[in-house]
Amino acid sequence: MDPVKITINGTEVVTEKGKTVIAAAAEAGVAIPHYCYHPKLSIAGNCRMCMVEIEKMPKLQIACNTQVAEGMAVLTQSPKVLAVRKAVMEFLLINHPVDCPICDQAGECMLQNYYMEHNLQESRQDVGKIHDRKKTIFGPNVIFDGERCIKCTRCVRFCQEITKTNELAVINRGDHATISLFDDAVLDNPLSANVVDICPVGALTDRDFRFKVRVWYLQKTPSVCPGCSTGCNISVETYQNEIARFKPRINDAVNQHWICDEGRYCFQGLTEGERLTTPLIRGEGGLMPATWDEALRAVLTGRGSNRATAAILSGRSTNEEAFLFAKLMDKVNAVTAVFYEERALTETQKILMSPDRSPNWRGARDMGVGANGGYEMLMKRIAAGEFTNAFIVGEDPIYTSADAAAARAALEKLSFLVVQDTRLTETAKLAHVVLPATHFGEKDGTYTNRNGRVQRLNAAVLPPEGALQDCEIFSRLLELAGEKLSYATPAQVFAALAKEVAAYGGLSYAAIGDQGVDLKSGGAAAS
Amino acid sequence: MEKVLLRNIGVPDSHLLATYQSRGGYASWQKVVSSMKPEQLIEEVKASGLRGRGGAGFPTGMKWSFVPKDNPKPKYVVCNADESEPGTFKDRLLIEQDPHAIVEGTLIAAFAIQSHTSFIYIRGEMAFGAKRLEQAVQEAYGAGLMGKNVLGTGYDIDLIVHRGAGAYICGEETGLLSSLEGGRGWPKVKPPFPATHGLFGCPTVVNNVETLATLPWILERGAAAYSAMGTEKSKGTKLFSVSGHVAKPGVYEVEMGYPFKKFLEEDCGGVANGKKLKGVIPGGGSMPVLKPEELEKVNLDYESVQAAGSLLGSGGVIVMDETTCMVRAALNLGRFFAHESCGQCSPCREGVHWMEKILHRIEHGQGQKGDLDLILNVAGNIAGNTICPFGDAAAWPPGAFIRKFRDEFEAHIAAGKCTVTH
Repeated sequence: MDPVKITINGTEVVTEKGKTVIAAAAEAGVAIPHYCYHPKLSIAGNCRMCMVEIEKMPKLQIACNTQVAEGMAVLTQSPKVLAVRKAVMEFLLINHPVDCPICDQAGECMLQNYYMEHNLQESRQDVGKIHDRKKTIFGPNVIFDGERCIKCTRCVRFCQEITKTNELAVINRGDHATISLFDDAVLDNPLSANVVDICPVGALTDRDFRFKVRVWYLQKTPSVCPGCSTGCNISVETYQNEIARFKPRINDAVNQHWICDEGRYCFQGLTEGERLTTPLIRGEGGLMPATWDEALRAVLTGRGSNRATAAILSGRSTNEEAFLFAKLMDKVNAVTAVFYEERALTETQKILMSPDRSPNWRGARDMGVGANGGYEMLMKRIAAGEFTNAFIVGEDPIYTSADAAAARAALEKLSFLVVQDTRLTETAKLAHVVLPATHFGEKDGTYTNRNGRVQRLNAAVLPPEGALQDCEIFSRLLELAGEKLSYATPAQVFAALAKEVAAYGGLSYAAIGDQGVDLKSGGAAAS
Repeated sequence: MEKVLLRNIGVPDSHLLATYQSRGGYASWQKVVSSMKPEQLIEEVKASGLRGRGGAGFPTGMKWSFVPKDNPKPKYVVCNADESEPGTFKDRLLIEQDPHAIVEGTLIAAFAIQSHTSFIYIRGEMAFGAKRLEQAVQEAYGAGLMGKNVLGTGYDIDLIVHRGAGAYICGEETGLLSSLEGGRGWPKVKPPFPATHGLFGCPTVVNNVETLATLPWILERGAAAYSAMGTEKSKGTKLFSVSGHVAKPGVYEVEMGYPFKKFLEEDCGGVANGKKLKGVIPGGGSMPVLKPEELEKVNLDYESVQAAGSLLGSGGVIVMDETTCMVRAALNLGRFFAHESCGQCSPCREGVHWMEKILHRIEHGQGQKGDLDLILNVAGNIAGNTICPFGDAAAWPPGAFIRKFRDEFEAHIAAGKCTVTH
């Protein structure tokens, strides 16, 4: 670091040579308003909102493009600065429809916020507004409202610089300038919906989310995307105990400011369908409701003594669940595997997406699940009739298998099948005991991403009454199997696993925080 | 006064290489490429006092000296032939009638910064001029004046004529570079400056046609001869394109510091049809208008025009007589700038159109009390706050028109119609 000393509003700040004034100010806790500036995109300098007064410079300068220099004195709240911000706000609102009451961006719109802070005047514009296009579909996930656009070009630059797919361009000149799809392009790249996140106004909105909830009603829970093993940091945003959307959460070590579309919308797959709320035990009339006590006892007694068990854990299970599951399966001498499915990725997908769809495949293996064999091999062994029992947690092999009939035939060979899941899947329909569990959004715990970064997910919604947390199911089964446990919450389970799993030694929930930590040893090697 | 820039104009077949060479053309280039060091050349141009003729008037030699010598990237010279300021047509004359002077000047500039590929960026609408330049370039290639191993000196230089698509902003140097790179004609934020991060991110010098066309004369006659002309800070001669209510419109070359009144009355024949002078825009449509009394002591040089409250700019002199409706004149310019605003930065994109709409309202009898102050306020909010000088260029004219002819604007609003022509 090459230190540079500047003053911002009279307060001395030590920053780094090469930094821009806007970045240096942000680090010093001074927010300079801006629209076109985005820390991960090139400098456009077009909104003119971030203008500041710099001593010895005759004109105001844009803070986004001006680099700090030794002794520089910056004023961000001088009368000149406030006047130009007010003017810029007025220009931006000249042709804006000011349709805040029906705009999905209301509540998180930088135009609204800055208007309140810097303009607050009646419009002086009485010569008629330019009417741009409304409701232009840009792609499967994004809709464009030209009237609200302030031409900050963040979306254009995102498609040029991050995805390099170039779907968007600015067309026309002057106040007829507008964002448009380039030629016949469709904005359907794997990261397309990020343009909605970076749009500072309501010009680009999410086709899935729009008109669902006013944003000020949303509860925001920091978490980790369950879509793949990249472990993108997200905010799970909920309304009335339902997940309304995922938004990216900034983490420069993992996903910067972005998430992929597959991850963004994967909550729909987790939450759709009718939930299981009662344990089921197969009787003469098929699967029949049972009490939790009856079902858990059936899990342990139904397998019969000394009969081989195949155990499959979902890659969406947390480290804590995997830790307890491994202990439980150890008790019954089971052969374990973590569900694993890999796909080929395009260059654009590779920007964020992992070939491995299971968000915690690596963490589960670190906990000892599947350490001696893979998922595919275990399924082959089930098909070959090597097992009489199976315990499948959170996966539906009949659905995920390329050959559903073969998977079904393999599972039908089993004399005792336990399925722990949130819904009555095709696999669960074959089970002898079904345990209603919880999905990603309902649980606390940790994931370890493919690069060995341990990160926390947090329960954003409550599970339905009758379903139990997977950790609790495993704990109760372990107790029934004779294990004395001294922990009840995921945080306590993590403390225990940190003692037993060397790579996680010394870690704690608190240390992981909201940004995660890298395993010092790199965790168990992926295979 | 000896003509520096118009010396070949009017000569039959002045655009042909043979004619140009018969009048001493390319002698300077031969001298430069075969016997001068780049540093020596830069010093010579610095000593001449030549300032850029595109409008800003920045010293040419100094501009060249900003190009880093140790940068391993290619270096480019771009001749800015995108002339399109309202009232400015001086470059077009050179392009069409003396293209070899531009080619030779561009080659000299290229040698100064050791560029091996350079460009002439010409406005798309100037089809005839582009043809003339392309022909000149081909002739020069054929004569071994450019290409590989120029005149056996070992120096390589290629020159490419590039036609723009026709946008005023492509005459702004960074907008020009964006266009030349194949992108939208949008100015770039500075810093970095073209001298270090120009065309394709490489060191680049952008010079105006007139600036480059002056170089052969300077190299032929020496810096001292050039700097002997003009004033202390404005050296040499300058082209002025004169239009409007003037008896003899056209392109004139005069020594810097030439009295404006004498220029208008003697050289240009005065205001046409014996009418009274009402106002003059001295430097192209983007510059503030001056009233007759402000022009009394103005000389045609950078400092004198600035002292009077305007700028010399490109030298596009627009003359308006007493029959001119200043509201209409302001609207005319406002319409041009609103049409040509590139739409990149907020104040210009939105504000220039806003001013035009208010002017349009006034012109059409719908003016309101407070409109004039609103325009002045909007213009003030645009000027100085944009990415490129276009914001200033668009904001200055309406501001100046209103300040200097406020009575006429107010009368127009009050009457709901023009009080000059009706």
